[in-house]
Amino acid sequence: MDESTFQIDTRGEFSFPENHKFDAGFGLTEATIDYICDAKGEPDWLREFRKDALRKFNAMPMPTHWAPEGIKDLDFEKIRYYLAHGTAPYKDWEEVPDDVKRTFERLGVPEQERAFLAGVDAQYDSETAYNNMQEELRKKGVIFVNSTEGLKEYEHIFRPWFGKVIPVTDNKFSALNHAAFSGGSFIYVPKGVKLEQPLQAYFRINSESMGQFERTLIIADEGAELMYMEGCTAPKYDSATLHSGVVELVALKGAKIQYVTVQNWATNVYNLVIQRGLAMEDAEIRWIDCNIGSGLTMKYPAVVLKGRRARGEVVSISLAHDGQLQDTGARMIHAAPETSSNIVAKSISIGKGRASYRGEVNVLKGMNGCRNNTECDALLISAESRTDTYPAISVNGNASAVQHEASVSQVDEEMLFYLQQRGLTRAQAMSLAVNGFINDLVKEFPMEYSVELRRLIDLEMEDSIG
Amino acid sequence: MDFSQNLSMEEAFALAEAEAKLNAALQAASQRFNDAKIPDRYNEDWRFGQPAKHAVALAEILKTNVPARGSISVKCADSEVVMPVSAEDDELKETVNLMPTIGSDALLGLHIRRFGEGICLMLEENTEIKQPIIITYETDGLYTPYTFIMAAPGAKARIEEHHKCADGATMFCVRNIHVMEGAQIAVELHEHGSIDSRCMNITDIHNLGGAVQHFTSHAGHAWAREETIAEVYAASPGTSIELYSANRISGNSVLDQHTHQIHHIGGAKSNLLYKNVVDENGTAIFAGNIRVEAGAHCTDAYQTNRNLLLSEKSTVHSLPGLEILADKVRCSHGSASSPVDEEALFYLTSRGVSRANAQELISTGFLEDAYNKFRKSFDETYTSGLPD
Repeated sequence: MDESTFQIDTRGEFSFPENHKFDAGFGLTEATIDYICDAKGEPDWLREFRKDALRKFNAMPMPTHWAPEGIKDLDFEKIRYYLAHGTAPYKDWEEVPDDVKRTFERLGVPEQERAFLAGVDAQYDSETAYNNMQEELRKKGVIFVNSTEGLKEYEHIFRPWFGKVIPVTDNKFSALNHAAFSGGSFIYVPKGVKLEQPLQAYFRINSESMGQFERTLIIADEGAELMYMEGCTAPKYDSATLHSGVVELVALKGAKIQYVTVQNWATNVYNLVIQRGLAMEDAEIRWIDCNIGSGLTMKYPAVVLKGRRARGEVVSISLAHDGQLQDTGARMIHAAPETSSNIVAKSISIGKGRASYRGEVNVLKGMNGCRNNTECDALLISAESRTDTYPAISVNGNASAVQHEASVSQVDEEMLFYLQQRGLTRAQAMSLAVNGFINDLVKEFPMEYSVELRRLIDLEMEDSIG
Repeated sequence: MDFSQNLSMEEAFALAEAEAKLNAALQAASQRFNDAKIPDRYNEDWRFGQPAKHAVALAEILKTNVPARGSISVKCADSEVVMPVSAEDDELKETVNLMPTIGSDALLGLHIRRFGEGICLMLEENTEIKQPIIITYETDGLYTPYTFIMAAPGAKARIEEHHKCADGATMFCVRNIHVMEGAQIAVELHEHGSIDSRCMNITDIHNLGGAVQHFTSHAGHAWAREETIAEVYAASPGTSIELYSANRISGNSVLDQHTHQIHHIGGAKSNLLYKNVVDENGTAIFAGNIRVEAGAHCTDAYQTNRNLLLSEKSTVHSLPGLEILADKVRCSHGSASSPVDEEALFYLTSRGVSRANAQELISTGFLEDAYNKFRKSFDETYTSGLPD
């Protein structure tokens, strides 16, 4: 593989000067919401909706009774809730500002490759800086825009599903996102359209204390198929930034959605993302999730299996380094008979890192013939690292079967010795072992991501052992 | 007892320091009970346990000054081993004060206010009691006994504890099992409930280098909660804790079981096997946690929860947890819930066994497996002895 494709700064320790046309300042109040609505030119119903969500956000308690300790340090007053270059998305690559282009270059995504990628919707801070849809997609009737544009231009499709999969009152962070959301993607794939190329979006946070509250809604109409890829890096800053997105997927009868995330925020980022999909009859939703960055990640991709024979799957890899807590997992709600789900989660804890699996599997009353299989494996690299597993499995009735298994292990000293004997450095040997541990999951990622992932793990190992 | 005259300066300081430490711990303990809230829906250790209903009901009845209504009977070949718990025994009371719970500090605090009933078993060094020691607590009202078992180094014994509740009765038992180096102790707890009876047990197993096998079985209670905390503080070759449970839940019964396997020190082994058969409207909750503390390297810890669901209204909640802070650890947990295997049912019905009987046969075998493993493990350690 050509080395030039890997120019991703894994630790995210870089930044560019900030130059924003819109800045709503620190803290979230009704005035902030008015500012966001005015800047984006939003209709009154949305303004009211946001304000109502803000009231609910303020009224709800923090989930401190179960959430990891680190969440207590989050100060909502020290977050900036809206920053943007402008409201009109850039349609042409030439119009993208130079500093944004430089960020993309640093991400290792050259212009030529970018143009080659299907329907790229790259997000720079709160607004889409680059939004160029391939002609082919448009011909098929696929809608791929940012959420602001989606609400404006396609209100008749967007609004009926807006906040339906993840309601405002679902939890405190859902309310927060409903109040302050900006950016994110809106995708609609019409009946029977199967997209061969994955759709991609790159997210970047480049302003200190900048919260990204992106909102993504993907609707796959009956029999449609698509894969969506989302990847993130962020520069390192001193004060904490918050990333609290909401991603809703709707797979109608027989549709298939695959959602791929590679998350590599800087370690001062709180990454609290709510991802949930609704799978109707015979539909399939797969979350393929990789968490490498951020200080604290709380992310439990969910599938509500709402139609008969629906299928849900979560494939999750997380890597926790010094000072990081990856609290990831999955949720499967079996709300229809004969539904099946599968969860495979692997985590690696390095140095003083802590990786947790937190999951929920629920087979509701009267739902017969449901199946779930959960596997969690953890790898501990050093004596100080930590791993936890907190699953909750509920089964109602005598016609469903669920099973859960978890194991914890270390890299075998003998294996390392064997590899070192043959001339590999300890870091190389360790990297090989770790790559082997997650190999079967990495294969689930699209090619370029799996290559990136392997490279990231090499770098992490070099850092920690080298 | 005053040894102060025979102590050197260093020893006197050490003693004073230990005393200060204990006092601080006791103060912290009493503060713990003052601060503790009756379990509510924000108490994660009561997840799925309907604390608003069950914890509150138990607390209400404990808060009243209903006198204890219960009886104790003990069968033991060596009568010197057995002592009743006295309300004046401050040392014993301190032990309870320092006991951990799984989310029920407030309830333990209420239990301590009624301290003064129960049985102490003191097994002397290298004694071996061949006949099982049988303790039976019975109540037709409210009873809050305390069982204290101390196995000195090398002691061997088998203990059976029976809790019997009459209709509408409540039994809340707190149990301490201390096992010293080289001791081998097997404890069985059998809960016998009846209509509308409730029970709760908080059991703390302190393993200081011995082998403990613990088994519980529940039948008949309308509501039962069990908190079992098994801790390894010192390890020598053969140090192990094994926890088994086999329960049958039917009617509208709820069985809420919580376990902690805590390895403070490395080199020991713990294993857990909890099995439930849930019929009719029954609910089984299992929440287990293995915690391997920082530095407790070379630990083996396993946890298995198996559930058979027999009716379409039966419910199982299973929360098997792991918290691993150490290295060179072998840990795993598994949880499976399913109906009775159709093929096994078919096999039996094709041989003339009715479907209901076939299901019964399979369930009985399923539960007996846990008890047999407990007995087998005990018999093996008991006859072979611990390795040197």
